[in-house]
Amino acid sequence: MAMKRHLLLAGAAVLLAPMATALAVPPEDTIVVGISADVNTFDPAPISSRDNSNIAKHIFGTLYEITPDGDIVPDLAESYVVSEDGTSYTYTLREGLTCEDGEALTAEDAAYSFNRAADPDNAFTGNTPGFVFSSIQFQGAEAVSDLEVRIDLGRPNPVSFGLIAEVFIHCKDSYEAMTLDEAARNPVASGPYRLVSWEPGSQVVLERWKEDEGNFQNIIWRVIPEASTRTAELIAQNVDIITNVSPDQIDAINNSGSAKVAPVQGTRRIYVGFNMSDDFADTEGGAAIQNAEVRRALQYAVDVPSICTQLLNFECERATGLVNPPNGNPNLVPYPYDPEMAEQLLDEAGFPRADNGVRFEITLQAGRGRYLNDVNVVQAIGQFLSDVGVQTNVELLDWASTYVPLISQRKAGPMFFLGSGGGTWSPLYDMTDLSVVGAGTNYTHWDNPDWFDRWTDIAAAETEEERRVVINEMLEVFYEDSPWLLLYFQPDFYGVSSRVAFEPRRDEKVYLFDTKLAGN
Amino acid sequence: MWTFIVRRLIQSVIVIIGVTFISFVALQIGGDPTYLYVSERASTEEIEAARRALGFDRPLHIQYVTYISNLLQGDFGNSLTFRRPAIDVVLQALPATIELTLFALILAISLAIPLGVFSALYRGTPVDGSIMTVAMLGQSIPNFWLGIMMIMLFGLQLRLFPISGHVPFLMPLLQGEIVRAFTQLPQALYYMIMPGVAVGFYSLSRNARLVRSSMLEVLGQDYVRTARSKGISERAVVVRHALRNAWLPVVTMIGLEFGFLLGGVVVVEMVFSWPGIGRLVFNAISQRDIPVVQASVIVLALIFITLNLLVDLIYARIDPRVKY
Repeated sequence: MAMKRHLLLAGAAVLLAPMATALAVPPEDTIVVGISADVNTFDPAPISSRDNSNIAKHIFGTLYEITPDGDIVPDLAESYVVSEDGTSYTYTLREGLTCEDGEALTAEDAAYSFNRAADPDNAFTGNTPGFVFSSIQFQGAEAVSDLEVRIDLGRPNPVSFGLIAEVFIHCKDSYEAMTLDEAARNPVASGPYRLVSWEPGSQVVLERWKEDEGNFQNIIWRVIPEASTRTAELIAQNVDIITNVSPDQIDAINNSGSAKVAPVQGTRRIYVGFNMSDDFADTEGGAAIQNAEVRRALQYAVDVPSICTQLLNFECERATGLVNPPNGNPNLVPYPYDPEMAEQLLDEAGFPRADNGVRFEITLQAGRGRYLNDVNVVQAIGQFLSDVGVQTNVELLDWASTYVPLISQRKAGPMFFLGSGGGTWSPLYDMTDLSVVGAGTNYTHWDNPDWFDRWTDIAAAETEEERRVVINEMLEVFYEDSPWLLLYFQPDFYGVSSRVAFEPRRDEKVYLFDTKLAGN
Repeated sequence: MWTFIVRRLIQSVIVIIGVTFISFVALQIGGDPTYLYVSERASTEEIEAARRALGFDRPLHIQYVTYISNLLQGDFGNSLTFRRPAIDVVLQALPATIELTLFALILAISLAIPLGVFSALYRGTPVDGSIMTVAMLGQSIPNFWLGIMMIMLFGLQLRLFPISGHVPFLMPLLQGEIVRAFTQLPQALYYMIMPGVAVGFYSLSRNARLVRSSMLEVLGQDYVRTARSKGISERAVVVRHALRNAWLPVVTMIGLEFGFLLGGVVVVEMVFSWPGIGRLVFNAISQRDIPVVQASVIVLALIFITLNLLVDLIYARIDPRVKY
């Protein structure tokens, strides 16, 4: 009998043991983050997604880094100088840096990191080779001394410094010895954390190896694609932070008693573009929006604050331009919601209501499921425009297969709904979407010389103050000529457990170096 | 028998070619995938260069012929998002799905048979009514909704099961880490319970109804009446005479059921963050990672075809009336 009881108890212990470990709150030296997308690679050069880059930043250092406030501060480097002609940046690394493999981290490693990412034989297409290098016209990098690395650009560019701060530095000896496939799975850290394990599609475990950086010994990134599952894991306190909280789950989290939602106005600029290309000029709506007065009138027709409150669960201030606050022109006031003014301006522009109440008909295209509650936002905009007599036909398209090719070929429209990533560290970074009339990101084909001719003035400006004056004047032109129907900067919602103190950033970067246990 | 197997293998090759063709065409008609692999700020020249490098500038039939020719050499192409062989990416995700599907299948069949038998034996009683009501519910509730409800009730409110996640068993086993695999087995099973129920509930319900109707038919047969008249115990009548014959349609269904469950895991894997092939395909389709989608479809088709062949062979073994 006693034997049976012992066996039963042992059986129960075996059955219950998994419960004890699986349902435990993370230990004090560990923070767990629930992210929505899987990691594709740990090779720093081809990384392209934000989730992937967030994890990589804990493993790899950068020469400088961007703070939550948009300042650019030293990371692996301690200083830099720019050549007189502005086409080369020479960084001096901090002394005593080491890599996870035990080797000293020198200028040779930094130069190698840049040149490896640019090497055509590697055919990388991530953020560094695909965006940073093409933007700065990267020519090459060279170790000038043990601690000095020079980076050569094709032309002077005022945003180069910030873009170079996005390039991950890695260690030459280890990476030269690895194939690309090996490098994708076996990162050799130059930053404060190193990879312990990676279960693709499941989780990534990092461990701190530099004692003086970061408050947690372990960081676990769990891949939880479904928003409601992320919410449940947060409320159960199995994870400490979750990204991309769905607006409809905010109340559930806030009422749980175990976590809160930390909303933040992001840097992604959400707008409706007016495509002024010849492709649409012979359509009724396409012809109408060639007129700046019409575009300006439509700014008054959309109640942006209500869209934010009702559809995004967030109090937002309407954008005044394409530059993220606080770098915008402080003298510009957001267009108010004033449908009467919209109607008056449309009348004055020569587009009165016809007998059926319609001034003109126009198509508004949008991709589905890319931005926060995008389908409902687009439908609401269509309704607001129709209310002032602009009969708007909303066309919702599959994002990946149909809408992206249209956008990339600058053929979406005549009106199209889009979001564009921005930054907090420079107004020029946001403005480079419209660097030249033919820029791939000038999806509206806007060609106002009062904007485009001023880039030479920006380049010629000798001081920051002079440059700021030109920027403000350009932003006034943008505001008045209205190539975009200005909307909002997309809010981001993070779920944060009461166990930790975490301040979300505006730029979608989830860096945990300063995060700590609540109350510590 | 061998003629039958050879004939089935030839049919299988035709099916596989059809599968590759349909998946290829279905993905291509969605538009040019080049844009997913370049920066949003890429110039027209950069887009062109990427298109050439990825081979998307060639005519579709050339792309398809090249693909088939590479396939015959075991080359499924490189994943466009993971930057490594697509077949490796698929095979890495496959064990998690096999674990879940097998668990769901075992759960469904092992419960469906006794429930179906009981329901048939107590036909018209509240026992029968209750079992059939649950079976009806099981066939009506979408598995993703059931999954979310289980997460809310058993994961969040009662804290009985983990809300999401996966502890591998099959992968370490296949890699030869036998001690690790079996050490992790209790945890692996524990994590499998909720997604397994969500995947298998429909199948359980369908098979319970199938067993019930099959049993009812068999119980009315002359040989069962004869067995009873010979004074054999009711238990022996049910198990040895009735169930043995009622079992045949269930065996036929198991092969198809496995394929059906494989299809059903896609959404459940998303809900429970299960790192299997269903979630991989879902993401690959949305990212238009064509090599991964094609490799997944071919692997799943091969599994389905093989299982059906096995079922046909087993069927001949357990039913002496069937000859090939």
